[in-house]
Amino acid sequence: MKKFVVVRLINIVITLFIIATATFFLMKMLPGSPFDEEKLSSLSDEARLEFLAKYGLDQPVGVQYVKYMGNLAKGDLGISYYFKGQEVTTLITDRIGPSALIGTQAVVLGLSIGLLLGIVAAFRHNSGWDYATMIIAVLGVSIPNFVLAALLQYYVGLKWGLLPVAFWDSYSSSIMPTLALSLTVVAMVARFMRNEMLEVLQQDYIITARSKGLGQLTVIIKHAIRNALIPVVTILGPIAVSLLTGSLVIENIFGVPGIGSLFVDSIKVSDYTIIMGLTLFYSAFFILTMLVVDLLYGIMDPRIRINGVKE
Amino acid sequence: MKKKLGLVSAIVLMLSLLLSACGFSNSKTDEKEAPEGVEKTESQETKKEKVVNLSLANDIPDLNQVLTTDGISFTVLNNVMEGLYRLDENNEPQPAMAESVDISEDKLTYTFHLRDGIKWSNGDPVTAEDFKYSWLRAMHADTSGAYADILYNYIAGGEEFFEGEADASAVAIDAKDEKTLEVKIKSPSPFFLGLTAFATYFPLNEKFITEIGDDKFALKADAILYNGPYVMTEYNQAQGVSLEKNPEYWDKENVDVDKVSLKVIKEQSTALNLYEAGELDRVYLASSDVDSYRDSAEFGTETEFISWFLQFNHNTAPFDNLNIRKAFQLAFDPQILTKTILNNGSEPAYGLVAAGVHGDDGKTFREVNGDLIQPDYDKAKEFLAKGIAEIGKLPSIEILTADDTIAKDTATFLQSEFKKNIGVDVQISTKPYSGRLDAMRASEFQMGISKWGADYNDAMDILSLWIGDPPKGLRGNYSSEEYKQYINDAGDEKDVAKRLQMLMDAEKLMIQEDGALGPLYFEGKAFLQKSNLKNFVTHPYGASIDLKFLTLE
Repeated sequence: MKKFVVVRLINIVITLFIIATATFFLMKMLPGSPFDEEKLSSLSDEARLEFLAKYGLDQPVGVQYVKYMGNLAKGDLGISYYFKGQEVTTLITDRIGPSALIGTQAVVLGLSIGLLLGIVAAFRHNSGWDYATMIIAVLGVSIPNFVLAALLQYYVGLKWGLLPVAFWDSYSSSIMPTLALSLTVVAMVARFMRNEMLEVLQQDYIITARSKGLGQLTVIIKHAIRNALIPVVTILGPIAVSLLTGSLVIENIFGVPGIGSLFVDSIKVSDYTIIMGLTLFYSAFFILTMLVVDLLYGIMDPRIRINGVKE
Repeated sequence: MKKKLGLVSAIVLMLSLLLSACGFSNSKTDEKEAPEGVEKTESQETKKEKVVNLSLANDIPDLNQVLTTDGISFTVLNNVMEGLYRLDENNEPQPAMAESVDISEDKLTYTFHLRDGIKWSNGDPVTAEDFKYSWLRAMHADTSGAYADILYNYIAGGEEFFEGEADASAVAIDAKDEKTLEVKIKSPSPFFLGLTAFATYFPLNEKFITEIGDDKFALKADAILYNGPYVMTEYNQAQGVSLEKNPEYWDKENVDVDKVSLKVIKEQSTALNLYEAGELDRVYLASSDVDSYRDSAEFGTETEFISWFLQFNHNTAPFDNLNIRKAFQLAFDPQILTKTILNNGSEPAYGLVAAGVHGDDGKTFREVNGDLIQPDYDKAKEFLAKGIAEIGKLPSIEILTADDTIAKDTATFLQSEFKKNIGVDVQISTKPYSGRLDAMRASEFQMGISKWGADYNDAMDILSLWIGDPPKGLRGNYSSEEYKQYINDAGDEKDVAKRLQMLMDAEKLMIQEDGALGPLYFEGKAFLQKSNLKNFVTHPYGASIDLKFLTLE
């Protein structure tokens, strides 16, 4: 187990290095600079180059790359070009809070409702419950979350005045973004859980459990759910990462000062240091989540031996 | 079971940590409670707090006045700071930090007399030295930003200082005493007073910057000193700013509003919902919403000093031919574009200098120079035939455009107009914003949809773009000695009327005779504004909103 984790951690560093290198060169292929090009275009070509030289952006990409990686090794993500003077680390930590809050809430809410619906649907197979769950699942996957967001904002916020229309003023500001984000999670989790439960309930050991005389509830809770959870955990990793790292559309609709819009905006304005910082942050977060998911498998199903990988 | 409890408590702990870290701004609850609280005590208190809520269309990139190039930053700065002059509702400069100015006979020396009792928000007096310090900072290569040229193009000795060829003593800014600032400029520039109202010309307090530290300056609300009608109490780049009336402001009697919040809302439909919910007092409308609100009493439009035009590349076939350029110039109707496609208050352009730019006293440049060009499809076909006879065969033609909706719609419109009116097929080549600029800079285009937003209120601002030597790809490689002569002479001319005539002749030459480009439209915006807001001043360039004069009924 320990060995497994150490090997994985070393792999993570190598992966991040490759990601950083690829992103750096791809990013430098984007046209333009992080500055107001419309304004720079009024300068003569020499004056424009001189201006870029002030930020070391006139040097060959290779040189810039070596410099950047050198600073990165020291843990220095640099300073934003667009948000002049702001450190990338500060910008990320300032923006991650709101995104992580609505993301975590959406995962927790989506997971609870989704699991519940999935279990009930499987348990009451081919009943009204089952059909209702499947309808929710289909709607949840096919309705884009920004449509739900716009509807929520218009009705709950504007027409009925129950929750703030937008802005990030108090806890109630986070409710509608959370609901909008959680719909997809509910749908996905419910569908997976239902299918998996149906399969598990057919297994021999469930029949054994029942024939031992265990009650329905005990069979479901103790034997069925635990085994049905594995595929859900598999999809949960990516879902959690994508939600916690922010959604551009939902953040813009509700005026949430989150990280999703920062990422997209930084690409639009070629803010190199932020693009790099966020890419590395997202990647590290994603890889670590995957590691956690792998470890969780072992806990849920002892048959999955993680150190078995080595043999 | 224990494990589960552990998991639950971990989640609860995480959520509470998140909650504490996610930085809700509480300003709104303050504002909401404040008027209620005041209402209760209204019998005792005489005045109710006046609060205005506005939105910003994007994050605030930075508030360092010498570095910033961003319109939103300019808008915020213009309300918390003040230059020697301030623009009034007609975009005319009015004395602000300065009480008066003496302009020498040769129009080159400006002696500003500062007002008594002008203070920074920490109580220190604003002095002539503060202006000198700030202006030098804005021109020094180490501290300056992309707008350094808006100073060194005018202030004598500035360019040499910027290039590092001369030291600060060579720059003709002289703080004679605390209240007197003498500036020499390179050539007569009737718009120079207006320039002193621009953010890059605002003063800075050296002592304060040294205390705060260069790298920390203007990153937080308390890391800036204010001398404008408002002070900033909260500053979050992603959420917006809160402003409060500045008790140290010299003209505070004429500032009616107590608190203003400017919050970042990027989605136009959200801003509209907030306006409907009464949480915003003014919003800009998306084109698609204009028709549903056009008849409302709260509806209005404003135009900016932003000219959009079709730039022909004079170095590439077929636009190296004058007749072909003229044919394309006449082959579309800008009125259809603004009315049916943009539908946002934009005005059709029949000249290059934007509507509203200063001309002669009381008249705009556009009014005195008139419409230089009108769509005429028969003439266009004649020119086209003549042109084709000269060059043999028309090559395949592409319009280069940026990939935002407005530019793309404009390109599609032009494509259909050229097909319909002169029977020419053109392709559209779409590039990202800076990709379009790069392609044009490298002269790799035939015609491109371009725009220019003015930095000062004078025709010189846009007309001087086409005198580059060597000619610039971005400006279509247009090169005319006669045109350059007009612009350079106008730059040296002391007589205002003669100067204006030269600029008018230059614009006529470029558009009517040389067919250098095809004017498209002057950008506009449609807005909704609550009826209790009066004297809401907007400017068509630089800082777009001025809240000093705003009153609330």
